[in-house]
Amino acid sequence: MLKMNHLSKVYRTHLIETHALRDFSIHVREGEFVAVTGPSGSGKTTFLNIAGLLEAFTGGEYFLDGVDVRGMNDAARSRLRNEKIGFIFQGFNLIPDLNLFDNVDVPLRYRGFNAAERRRRIEQALARVGLSARMKHYPSELSGGQQQRVAIARALAGSPKILLADEPTGNLDTQMARGVMQLLEELHGEGATIIMVTHDPELAARAQRNVHVIDGQVVDIEAEPRMRGPDIAVPQAVQA
Amino acid sequence: MELRPILSALMRSRVALVLLGLQIALTLAIVCNSLFIISERAALMARPSGMNEADTVILASIGFGADFDMKRAMADDLAMLRALPGVVEAAPINSVPMSNGGWSSGLSLTREQKTSSAYSAMYFSDDHGLDALGARLIAGRLFRPDELGERSRKTEGWPPVIIITRALGDKLWPGQDAIGKTVWLDTDSAPSTVIGIVDRLQAPWVHNDEVVEFATLLPEVINEGAFTRYVVRSAPGQRDAVLKAAEAKLAALNSSRIVREGKTVEKIRADAYSGDRAMMIILGVVIVSLLIITALGIVGMASFWVTQRTRQIGTRRALGATRGAILRYFLVENFVITSIGLLLGAGLAYGFNVWLIQNYQTAAMPWYYVPTGCLSLWLLGQLAVLGPARRASRVPPAMATRSI
Repeated sequence: MLKMNHLSKVYRTHLIETHALRDFSIHVREGEFVAVTGPSGSGKTTFLNIAGLLEAFTGGEYFLDGVDVRGMNDAARSRLRNEKIGFIFQGFNLIPDLNLFDNVDVPLRYRGFNAAERRRRIEQALARVGLSARMKHYPSELSGGQQQRVAIARALAGSPKILLADEPTGNLDTQMARGVMQLLEELHGEGATIIMVTHDPELAARAQRNVHVIDGQVVDIEAEPRMRGPDIAVPQAVQA
Repeated sequence: MELRPILSALMRSRVALVLLGLQIALTLAIVCNSLFIISERAALMARPSGMNEADTVILASIGFGADFDMKRAMADDLAMLRALPGVVEAAPINSVPMSNGGWSSGLSLTREQKTSSAYSAMYFSDDHGLDALGARLIAGRLFRPDELGERSRKTEGWPPVIIITRALGDKLWPGQDAIGKTVWLDTDSAPSTVIGIVDRLQAPWVHNDEVVEFATLLPEVINEGAFTRYVVRSAPGQRDAVLKAAEAKLAALNSSRIVREGKTVEKIRADAYSGDRAMMIILGVVIVSLLIITALGIVGMASFWVTQRTRQIGTRRALGATRGAILRYFLVENFVITSIGLLLGAGLAYGFNVWLIQNYQTAAMPWYYVPTGCLSLWLLGQLAVLGPARRASRVPPAMATRSI
């Protein structure tokens, strides 16, 4: 599903070069739930940005659902991103001036679906996260956990090949975090491919596989996925 | 087209929407009416006087001293002026078109009338007058030398023959040939017969719409007092030289008078319409200023929104928006705001025009002013928002994951 070979990312200024990722290789299979962990500044977000086609990379190879993304122009990357990837951001990134329906509608409009198809997908996605009754509400009228659920609905609505979650519970209290994690686990149980970037080892432990990144390099990768499922108990640390 | 979500989002920023919409509405209303007033003034200024304005000059002679002989001085002056190199024709005249000072009188079609049928400017000149003015006779004939008379305060009655403008003839005898018709300049005197029609010769009062195109030429020379005015038409291209020479020769010819008012008819026209020109300039400045302020308002608001929504733009990009889609979003948003303003502005523009009609007797603004103004402001809005919109389109999608 997602394959990076010897990928590198260098940020250059006229004074210094910063190697954000170096010789970075990873292979995420369809249906996997992978946690990418590491300390601040380790390159987790750079990996997520490149994986999500938000940034270009400097060297190496990257195949997303079999598509070689090297050399793609901005418009093609935008289309591929819209079609293949569903984003879940730490800060939810909902558009405050749009109600839930219109928020979920944003990526669908860019996809070019007709109005009926969009409505069907929006209703289905919001129903999946348990917010059907609040379609006309605005983000400011929801709790943080509910907002993240909307963001998940927005990510799901376009039926993406892969969900990229950037610290999805980072802005939530423990109870809301638990709910969001349960939802992600349910989605994984239903077959979704999920890559979650987190610095929280407790959350990472709930993924099938952990990839640890330090100084832009993969230093620890579990070769075989652990068997996890949506029915696994929430760890004590998260419940506390 | 993201029209509905854009409208929905705008309704959540009502204050900005109302302020910008009002600014656009007022701009449309003021610009349309100002342009209409400018066009009206321009049309007013573009009316021909009927004279040869390019080659004609006016001079005045004011005698002083007990021994000043008006009749003799006028005869000498005219003989000198007509013989002056470059002069085509010269004649005495009491006033000229656009000079804002002159003689007017009512004209009646019957002796019994209590109210005049029309009011007209009265130009007193000799048989050279019409030619000196450069006015075009389109029917009938000029005055003959034997028809010339003199006028003073003691003169009673009016000359038996007159020449009138076509507009005056049409007013007095609509659809009829005015030649040979009689008219009373004074119902206590004998009537005057129209012997000639001039295509056009404006009255001195260019802002009096009721009489501006009505003029009557009378074959009389005013020779009372010490003031005489001459109209002198030069050969093409010799006007300024003729004016200079005429002033010098008149001054030298008679030491008992002073020569004044030496000026071209073009200068007289410029003076007559100086107020209109000033108003056009002021309104032009108002229009340009308003358009600049409105454009800056749009640029400012759009720039603010781009800055405020940087994260949101990044999110949209992350969710699949191309640069073009972001550019289009801001252009459409501006189009929506401008349209709301223009809708209100169209009503204001027509309302303002009605108010001007009721209070200042202006004409009704032609229908196409508001649609043209709307198109122009739509274009202005799109041009103004283009810079901020392009800046928005350059926000990278990675902005969505940045902590800002």
